[in-house]
Amino acid sequence: MSAIRVVGVRKHFGGISVAEDISLEIAAGEILGLIGPNGAGKTTLFNLISGIHAPDAGEIYLRDRPLSRLPVYKRARLGIARTWQHVRLFPTLSVLDNVLMGPRAYPGEGSPARASAILERIGLAGAQDKLPGALPFGQQKLVGLARTLMNDGEVLLLDEPMAGVEGQVYETIKQVVRDEAAAGRAVCVVEHNVSFIRDLCTRAVFMFNGRIEQSGTVEELLASEKLAELYFGGKK
Amino acid sequence: MEYIYSVLILIGINIIMASSFNLIIGYGGLISIAHPIFFALAGYCSAILSMHYGVPIPMAIVAGALFSTALSVMLSLPSLRVSGDYLLIASIGFQLGFVEVIKNVEMAGAASGLTGIPALFSGPLRSPAFLATIYVLAVLVVWLVHRITHGDYGRAIQAMRDDEECFASLGRNAMAIKIVIFAVGSGLAGLAGALYAHYSEFLSPEQFGILQSGLILTMVVVGGMGTTAGPVVGALLLTALPQAITFLNLPAAVMAPLQGMIYTGLVLVFLFVRPSGLVARK
Repeated sequence: MSAIRVVGVRKHFGGISVAEDISLEIAAGEILGLIGPNGAGKTTLFNLISGIHAPDAGEIYLRDRPLSRLPVYKRARLGIARTWQHVRLFPTLSVLDNVLMGPRAYPGEGSPARASAILERIGLAGAQDKLPGALPFGQQKLVGLARTLMNDGEVLLLDEPMAGVEGQVYETIKQVVRDEAAAGRAVCVVEHNVSFIRDLCTRAVFMFNGRIEQSGTVEELLASEKLAELYFGGKK
Repeated sequence: MEYIYSVLILIGINIIMASSFNLIIGYGGLISIAHPIFFALAGYCSAILSMHYGVPIPMAIVAGALFSTALSVMLSLPSLRVSGDYLLIASIGFQLGFVEVIKNVEMAGAASGLTGIPALFSGPLRSPAFLATIYVLAVLVVWLVHRITHGDYGRAIQAMRDDEECFASLGRNAMAIKIVIFAVGSGLAGLAGALYAHYSEFLSPEQFGILQSGLILTMVVVGGMGTTAGPVVGALLLTALPQAITFLNLPAAVMAPLQGMIYTGLVLVFLFVRPSGLVARK
């Protein structure tokens, strides 16, 4: 059974279509890659699932529960956790306080201990009293991921987790994503980093102009001439 | 001596006003200028209940504060659904509209004001008793605002102010927090208003205009937004300063514009030179 199911979702902003008849499913324990050029509608799809935007048509299900009428905060409480392309940490809160904002039931019993454990897991135990602005961008991404992990929900939506990161942070994020999927979470990753998608994802979806152009295994997609033309701007 | 008491009592009332406004604008980031009207509405409500319906004054004061709380929820429910400027616009309408309503309600004394409001205390110890009551309540209000804005709830308020959309995506109900902050802040302004009514024994709609909003905002900005001590310092400074100027014995035609220039000048100076206010946030 799918953890999250998107069925025939459409979204228009004025005359511009940003999501056109989108349907996809992610199973528990699966890592789905969402690829496509900028403006393809990948983040919009995350916004539709997490409730930032309401779809014009179609439905989104968490297990069998329809979500479209639920506000953002109720979807998060049901277990839909997400990160943001531009991290969006709370700048006036310390790293620890940022992570403490994450549990579904706030403030949540035992949250400080859990938050410290997660920060230790991602190698930021020493930074918990710092303000996010004092950290390098890669570590800020880790804090954003740690805050999302506090949700402990069924679905994890990661918006370009690897953009602007390298080295140890890259490896840490990769390991966390792998572990979370192994723990039974349905993970969806928007990413331009093809090697990350190839290493982690069991399936991938290619989006272009608000539509799903192609889906399949990562190898199938990467072998596709259509993807090469639309995404990389040339024939394979 | 009576003059000293009146200044000190006014400072205490302004501490309640500035601290409660700081909860709304400084901690919550909710831009409203309607704070004085909640002060006024509670004052009128308490005065009318005690004058015309025989309600004991302490109960009337509580009822006045609750009246302001209820009205603030009425204002916040539609306007807080949308963020930022809409609340500001709605609060300006609320402020101007209710001043006009008061001016036209006979029972509230209409434009000429409401006189003969019973005092909370009487006799030779009237002023010391008022002073003690106001300062006990002012300390309680400052403590309450501090409690609300620190710890788990305070962290949530701060996060909501920083990024409301991200805050919601973590499972937090921003609307509920905004309504609570607005209702508590407005209710505390109402408490100050009801106390003021039963101290001054006179209320006039002219006392609660936009200028009063500017004065309270100045107290918070100059003292230090989003700090516990800032509004206390701001209220002390901006209540005492105009009183000090009166000792210059300037003509009334000069005094009023001079006071206005001082308020405006202070806001401008602090916004450019020290935007964090006298008491900076840690």
